[in-house]
Amino acid sequence: MTVDRDFERIYRGTLAIGSPVPRVDAFDKVTGRQIFAADYYSPDMLWAGVKRAGIPHGRVEYLHVERATSLAGVHAILTHEDVRGSNRQGVVRKDQPVLCNDKVRHCGDAVALVLAESKEVLRQALDLVGVGLEPLPAVFDAEQAMKEGAPLVHEDHEAGNILLEGHLKTGAGEDARDECDILIEACFKTPRQEHAYLETEVGWAQMGDDGRLTIVCSTQTPFRDRAEVAEALGLKYTDIRIIAPYPGGAFGGKDGVTVQSLLGLAALHSGGRPVKMWWGREESFVCGTKRHAATMYYTLGAKSDGSLHYLKVRLYLDTGPYDHLGGVVLALGLEHSGGPYRIPNVVLDGWCAYTNNPIGGAFRGFGVTQVTAAMEQMMDMLAEKLGMDPLNLRLRNAVKTGDRNFVGKTLVNSTGVTECLEVLAAHPLWKEKDAWKSSADTFKKRGVGIAALMHASGYGPFVPDFANAKIQLTEQGKVRVYCGVVDMGQGNASTNLQIVGSILGQDAAHIELVQPDTDRTLPSGSASASRCTYTFGNALIGAAGILKERILQRAADLLMAPDAKHFALVPGSVRHLRDGRELPLSLVAQYLNESERVAVYRFRVPVAGEVMPVGEDLRLHGFPHTLFSYGAHLAYVEVDELTGKVSVERYLAVSDCGTVINPQVYEQQIHGGIAQGVGFALSEEFQVKEGRVLTPGFSTYLIPTAADVPEMESIPVQLYEQTGPFGLKGVGEISTNGPLPAISNALFDALGAREGEYPLTPERVARVIGAGDWLNASGSMLRW
Amino acid sequence: MTQVFLPRTLNELWNLLDAEPDGRVYAGGTDFLVGFHERAPRPACLICIERISEIKGVSDRGDWIWIGAATTHSMLLAAPPIREHAAVLARGVSVLASPPVRNMGTIGGNIVNASPAGDTLPPLYVLGAEVEIESRVSTRRVPIQEFILGPGIVDLRRGEIVTGLRVRKASRFAVHHYEKVGRRKAQACSVVGMAALIRLSESKIIEEIRTAWGSVGPTVVTIPDVEHFLVGKPLGVKSLKEAMPLVSGSVFPIDDVRATAEYRRKVAARILVRLARYA
Amino acid sequence: MAQRVRIDAAVVRGSIPWTETKEPSLEILRVVEPNSDAVREAMEIAFFLNGTPVKLDVAPDRRVVDLLREDLGLTGTKEACGTGDCGACTILVDNESRLSCLMLAAQLDGRTVATIEGLSQGESLHVIQEAFIECGAVQCGFCTPGMVASSVDLLHRIPSPTRQEIRDGFSGNLCRCTGYQKIVDAVELAVRKLQEDR
Repeated sequence: MTVDRDFERIYRGTLAIGSPVPRVDAFDKVTGRQIFAADYYSPDMLWAGVKRAGIPHGRVEYLHVERATSLAGVHAILTHEDVRGSNRQGVVRKDQPVLCNDKVRHCGDAVALVLAESKEVLRQALDLVGVGLEPLPAVFDAEQAMKEGAPLVHEDHEAGNILLEGHLKTGAGEDARDECDILIEACFKTPRQEHAYLETEVGWAQMGDDGRLTIVCSTQTPFRDRAEVAEALGLKYTDIRIIAPYPGGAFGGKDGVTVQSLLGLAALHSGGRPVKMWWGREESFVCGTKRHAATMYYTLGAKSDGSLHYLKVRLYLDTGPYDHLGGVVLALGLEHSGGPYRIPNVVLDGWCAYTNNPIGGAFRGFGVTQVTAAMEQMMDMLAEKLGMDPLNLRLRNAVKTGDRNFVGKTLVNSTGVTECLEVLAAHPLWKEKDAWKSSADTFKKRGVGIAALMHASGYGPFVPDFANAKIQLTEQGKVRVYCGVVDMGQGNASTNLQIVGSILGQDAAHIELVQPDTDRTLPSGSASASRCTYTFGNALIGAAGILKERILQRAADLLMAPDAKHFALVPGSVRHLRDGRELPLSLVAQYLNESERVAVYRFRVPVAGEVMPVGEDLRLHGFPHTLFSYGAHLAYVEVDELTGKVSVERYLAVSDCGTVINPQVYEQQIHGGIAQGVGFALSEEFQVKEGRVLTPGFSTYLIPTAADVPEMESIPVQLYEQTGPFGLKGVGEISTNGPLPAISNALFDALGAREGEYPLTPERVARVIGAGDWLNASGSMLRW
Repeated sequence: MTQVFLPRTLNELWNLLDAEPDGRVYAGGTDFLVGFHERAPRPACLICIERISEIKGVSDRGDWIWIGAATTHSMLLAAPPIREHAAVLARGVSVLASPPVRNMGTIGGNIVNASPAGDTLPPLYVLGAEVEIESRVSTRRVPIQEFILGPGIVDLRRGEIVTGLRVRKASRFAVHHYEKVGRRKAQACSVVGMAALIRLSESKIIEEIRTAWGSVGPTVVTIPDVEHFLVGKPLGVKSLKEAMPLVSGSVFPIDDVRATAEYRRKVAARILVRLARYA
Repeated sequence: MAQRVRIDAAVVRGSIPWTETKEPSLEILRVVEPNSDAVREAMEIAFFLNGTPVKLDVAPDRRVVDLLREDLGLTGTKEACGTGDCGACTILVDNESRLSCLMLAAQLDGRTVATIEGLSQGESLHVIQEAFIECGAVQCGFCTPGMVASSVDLLHRIPSPTRQEIRDGFSGNLCRCTGYQKIVDAVELAVRKLQEDR
């Protein structure tokens, strides 16, 4: 069935901003030629694997490695005693051991590292490693962890089990409560969510003859990894090289070290042989990070005219035993807990607590997913009580540029939530919803729900949020772009190519991309925080401008023209537009020396000038942001009355993420975020009992299949953002935040009741339907 | 290391089983090989029966349909006798796992695996399937409900394998129904499954009905009381609702990560009401 | 030590463009020496692999996914669960989709096997691969080889599927990036292209 087609046709043509250029990585990925970190094998390679704790909290009494060591094919067994550096890793607070020395703090903690000749021997050896652990009392709930007398996860942490807390009061604070005509109170609990990337944590490493350690791994953060590995293992920063091929999915779960330090340690003890480590699916589920489980207590008050007046939030996040990015997630959650609305009086209190559960960490949405689930349901509950249309209630309170948002930050960038809501209101899916609802089949009920969204981009005011772009004109006359930010599937590599192509007048055949590599590309921060194309794109525009001027100037010199006016770059050449003379870029390149052929530009993200009254801790963790994307989502939902099964039938996402550089890549982000959100809303229940994972694989932890995701429509509201590259804002995360509240609101529309715990499994929905009729309503059932 | 044999005839298989009496027999491997490489100790010998053509395929045998044990789910879905005379089985197969699993997995494997959640089993119970069991020296035929004794426990003796099954044609039933309640729409283990066959009079009176439930007991559950109660009554919400307590009182579900016993018990009864759709 | 793999992996794999843009400067050899245990009781199997007849001495209980990836260097076939729940390791055996993590090497004997590497020749792509690129059905790409294999299987069974049938067709292939819609679009486009070509 192979059809002989001119494949170049697909890629031919423009790289202009706004065109749906096929992705540059797609060819190698559809043909199986793309080499992922998982695909690195080499002769003489050893397999490395980790002996895990298996209990949630315990003191390390002994490690018996003799039996395993004597097994044929075992190369080495390493423990914390083999770690020369700090043996601690972490993004903010470095509290996670590479190999546990004193205690284990969750079931997935690493206690020993085995190097073996084959996977089979590795498996046997891991079984033979004897780990003596004295169980300690453990804590499995964030609120419990904060109570006096709770078992301490880190004895050396001054604030006990409280990793970070944050508080904010605006306006009259609590006093405004009594001024409200209507008050709504509710509690919401959102569960952990597993990233479930298809490529589990994996890497390959080797010590070179020159004493430098090379690690190839599936990561979002090669430069930060290098620093973490260096410190944890006691190596010189410059003696480590991290190479980051395209990861097979990441979504935040590879924002920070997974296999890296362990692999580095293995390579230090492999006698120069290459080492591979590849976590199995269960290991990934048990040991990898999760979206933080959240408990959220909300009070929302309004005047009888529908203007929001008062918001009080208490937010508890369970970060498991390690910080990872828990504090930062808390800060971003608090900053979004009131949604894209003006609320003059606000009291926010949040805590991120250590427990002995699996590790909480970064996951697309990053705290915003949780609070949006709560706030957008509060808005519908309020609308219900006010007898107002939920869309109108949102429009009435939506922020505009120049407003202070609910934390008091003045909005100085483009602010399109109103535009998004208006586009949604005019859409046939909104206008024709009643007809759709009334045509439900026997035993089915239908409802329609919406949610309004905001999502910040970047690191906030404190952590330097910058990118360094590097572009080179090669001797062959091609433009080589050194990508500093990982493309884990979101397509920013392709967008980089499009940005450079449009500025330098080149097509895909004349541009080469170098994927992140600490030896070759320049540090540009993490692939996270909806920042990649905004930050790196701005840097690329600067670098491309410099290179362009250099090329045109040299071409003018070579052609004895007085200046570079009337010269333009066309694919492979420089052309004088008046007289038609043309110089191939390969020729121009010969007349530029090596340093002239390279352009470097650094861009640092503008940050909020205002300082919020939140205390230094919260500010250090990123509070507040200045640049936000916005959105309005709509879900058509059908419920089966007999079983409680929920089906999302249609979905609309209207988004203000600024200008669209590539409509195809943009839509991919929106679609993918919705699908993950649908899973979070309906089927993904990461069950943990006393620290043990009960759903350690794809047969029990159910991410959506093709049959579960509805037909989706994405409409971009293309407001031009002055600070963005070509007017763009971040689109990576926002759409993940909409499905849970939109679907839950639609369920309320269908059933007249709602459930405060998620996901909305058939069983939970059955309780809502039954309301005591055929399944007893549980305590979690919200009634009002 | 484990030796793997792929006999092409039953005779080759019997010879192998004589030589390797501890050899483990498998067909599609979709259940058997899950986690196989992490198990220790591994068997010395595996015998994969996917190539024995005598026990593959579907044939029309008058009042009966014969199905070879090594027939894959995809082959079943494509077989005209199944579609025409045993549609309820096709319904069960069509929601079983996923296309590649259906290309590999076999009906015989489902029966021997005897999972309480197997999607082919409730249809086979309502079809009155009889399991054919052979060894080098013996042949016997056992009703499926007598062959399956518990979760993963079947009446299979040393040297025997399931070679096939036969089901009686069920064309007289106007309704061939299978409903799977899972936690997502595809590739989900069944939380409750129900198969039903209904023969209706012109005036929509239930003349004959057979029902069977999966995932609500150690084996598939059939409830003769429900069938007795419904015969002679009009097919409709009212009579089906009246039968619900007979269902919830006769199932023995358990709690697991997928659902509570309570939910399973109630839903098993409630999905009976779905049959009103055919009225 | 006996050389278990007797074929030139490059023949099966096709030549890979080795450019500056794709690869770090690391030498990766894709034919791996078997461990001694495996060779001792190896069996010979012969099958067609991506159009090429191959004969291998192989441990009969080796998982097909390991044989392909580790011994033959065909790393286009991915492994993402090892339990048959994700479809990333889907290959085509006698034109039907199969999970290579739940098959043993011995089962390949006499079969015709196609992996993702065999669906294209140089720059000439299978129509489904081409449609995946055009429709933006590829993001991280780790599910893509399995998705393509399942789509080929689907179009063998149902040449003109509805959108629902397409969704059901790769319901065993999990994708965490795309939300599937563009993959459905791509299969629809491939169907149209095939009909135009007729």
